[in-house]
Amino acid sequence: MSILLDVADVTAGYGNTTVLRGISLTLKEGKSIGLFGPNGHGKTTLLHTISGLIRPSSGTIHYMQRDISGESSANIVAKGLVHSPQGNTLFGDMGISETLELAAFTPRARTDKNLNLDYVYKLFPRLSERKKQLAKTLSGGERQMLSIGCAIMCSPKILMLDEPTLGLSPRLKKELGQAISKISLNGISMIIVEQDVEFLLSLTQRLYMIEHGEVVREIDRTDAPAHEEIMQLYFGGKQT
Amino acid sequence: MTVQFLWIKLILLFTLLALVPLWVESSYIRHLFIIAFIYAVIASNWDLSLGYAGVFNFGHLTFFGIGVYTAAIATKALGVSPWLTIPLSGVTAACAALLMAAPVARLKGIYVVLVTFAVSQLVLQLVLSQSQITGGAEGMVRLPYLQIGDYKFIRDYKLGYYYMALSLLMSSTLFLVWLTKSPFGKSLRAVRDNEDYAQARGISISRQRVLALVMSAIFTGIIGGFYAIYLRVASPEVFSFGTMSLALSMVLIGGVGTIWGPVIAAIALTFATEAMAGIRGMEEARFILVAIAMIAVLRLAPGGVAGLLSRLVPEKN
Amino acid sequence: MSDALLTTLASGLVLGSLYALMASGLSVVWTTLGVFNFAHGALMMFGAYIAWTVSEAAGLGLLSGILAGTIVTGLVGVIIERLLIRSFYGNRNMLLITVMTTLAAMIIIEKGAQMIWGARLKQLPRLIEGEVSLFGTTVSAHEALIIGLAPTILLALWAFTTITSTGRSLRAVGQNQTSAALIGIHVPRAFSIAFAISAGLAGLTGALLGSIRFITPAMGSEPLVKAMIVVIFGGLGSLGATAGAAYVIGMLEAILILTVGLYWTPSLMFLVMIIVLVLRPNGLFGRRLI
Repeated sequence: MSILLDVADVTAGYGNTTVLRGISLTLKEGKSIGLFGPNGHGKTTLLHTISGLIRPSSGTIHYMQRDISGESSANIVAKGLVHSPQGNTLFGDMGISETLELAAFTPRARTDKNLNLDYVYKLFPRLSERKKQLAKTLSGGERQMLSIGCAIMCSPKILMLDEPTLGLSPRLKKELGQAISKISLNGISMIIVEQDVEFLLSLTQRLYMIEHGEVVREIDRTDAPAHEEIMQLYFGGKQT
Repeated sequence: MTVQFLWIKLILLFTLLALVPLWVESSYIRHLFIIAFIYAVIASNWDLSLGYAGVFNFGHLTFFGIGVYTAAIATKALGVSPWLTIPLSGVTAACAALLMAAPVARLKGIYVVLVTFAVSQLVLQLVLSQSQITGGAEGMVRLPYLQIGDYKFIRDYKLGYYYMALSLLMSSTLFLVWLTKSPFGKSLRAVRDNEDYAQARGISISRQRVLALVMSAIFTGIIGGFYAIYLRVASPEVFSFGTMSLALSMVLIGGVGTIWGPVIAAIALTFATEAMAGIRGMEEARFILVAIAMIAVLRLAPGGVAGLLSRLVPEKN
Repeated sequence: MSDALLTTLASGLVLGSLYALMASGLSVVWTTLGVFNFAHGALMMFGAYIAWTVSEAAGLGLLSGILAGTIVTGLVGVIIERLLIRSFYGNRNMLLITVMTTLAAMIIIEKGAQMIWGARLKQLPRLIEGEVSLFGTTVSAHEALIIGLAPTILLALWAFTTITSTGRSLRAVGQNQTSAALIGIHVPRAFSIAFAISAGLAGLTGALLGSIRFITPAMGSEPLVKAMIVVIFGGLGSLGATAGAAYVIGMLEAILILTVGLYWTPSLMFLVMIIVLVLRPNGLFGRRLI
């Protein structure tokens, strides 16, 4: 099984602040990984760096064996590495169908446009009920669905979701979780950032705990610790 | 920089300038200095509102123009003594700034730029259209000159005007430095750098902005009055884009938010542009060079000028 | 209806159409980049001069002149974006800085034009000679053409931004740069395209103006100011608001000329603009505030 994404020893941050300190992780084809850990410790920064919004100051990022560190976001999306950012407000004055159609922007996405569009509407029936509704009037859950829908329209090989269920009701969370697992069953590899470790374990095969800009613990689903230990990971003790 | 360092710089500068007439006897060169001092007042006062207080005021030259025409109309049509109209010009300019208070206080971002610019256009249109009073597009000429008793200021190669201009520059600069070092000045910086914090401390943002605008208008108007009396001419040229961008370039190149920077830049740029005007084919090109210099300063930004520029906080969204 | 009123209506329509053309370019750049291009009027003047050079000096005919004016000015727009805007992306003072750099660009273009073409008045011939009857009064055929052309161009612009992928990408970039980049839109490229379109529109407008106004290096100031009034009135948010505001301003100006005369009209227009801003800080129809 080939390595789809290889993040090697990446340092990155904003302005004078370093957030990622030599972080490394890998994503294998057909698999999905989850990232969790305390807030402000680099999970979002990591996704931003992989998708090209931030330039790493050192280290490399290899996508399908080619170095993409320093490439523009648009180029990275065109290659099939797609990022659905946290709290994506998208384009306030555009309707749902308009947004989804626009998201098939890259040549790669354009070839599968109609296929992907049907798929998105099947995954998220709520979106197909409000095709003309403007993004700025959508609820939090609907906006998340639209954001993920847009990402799918980009024909991704890798889909990165940053806290897709943040602020959503348990029912919506479950609904989104089901949609996400359908997507991954369809062959798209995912990197999911979430607070809920058990939720992550149900959707991915491998978890990385990120603290202070580095990976401090790796958990394999087959080898997953018990519930108490997970709680401990969350609230307790420093790991080395 | 520390206050003492600033004072030393200023004392040095003004002493040097005061001594210039000892070496320079040419009427033309003294004229250049006078023009330089006038621009120095305009630019440093613009630095107060734009640079120090962060008000996006693009109508600053209006204050200058109002000062010019106050002096012109007061002396010619109303027969007021030129000595009186010079301070009077400061008053009218300050009043104009007060009139701009409502829009400036309420608006944000680009709209402040547009409304202050609109005011300058409004005044220009008034000047052009009310030609019986203002002389319209041709302006007004043969304004009375300064004299004390029998001594006409233009004597001795404009010696009197030189020292008059220099003392006005000194007064303006002292005023500005005193203002910026005062609690009021500090509150201006607070408003510019961190609006939310300033508001939380009970500082009224709109009031500070309006006050900064009015303060910046006083000496600008006064020097406008002086300009009219010195050249004995008032023309709508003072409202032109050319004049405004020259003054703006002095603010930028000199160093936004420093007060003394624009003073130096004004003197340097006045002489530079004058020197260039002498070269054949450079009459228009020199403005292009100044504009390029302005862009270069904005782009090449390291520390120095734009290090200060980066402290300019845009109006809140 | 009385004669005077009809003439006013006709001239209001001509003015409104011109202002709509002038302001639409400004609006494109504002909604896509959040930048106010102070060089917009100078670009109109430049378009007129290019049109004149190609049409009269080189004798290649008016249509070639207008085409050249549009395209060359569009290219200048791209240059402005590259040199004077691009390096300030993400700078928190971008708005103020680009106001100043575009002001500098205006000076450069104006003085440059003066150096290249001299200060003597020039003029372009009209597209169509003769006169046409409109609302029972007569207008020059060229002006009637402008009345027809303006809405057509605006419609084309609207169609471009609503239907085409590129046009939509401009709107997307204007609403959310990050999200746009994350669906594969090259944001810097979108900026260049926006500026090219905006400048091209300015050049086209200038070329059309060059038949009914004198071409001088300073001819861009008045259109710039008028365009400013329009976008303030309409709020800088959308093309529709800009177009609507343009016709309102055109009518207002025509009515003022009729009622208070030519001398007082400009001053009153500015006064009205200032009052509108004080009462409605977002412009008459405006929603977005930056």
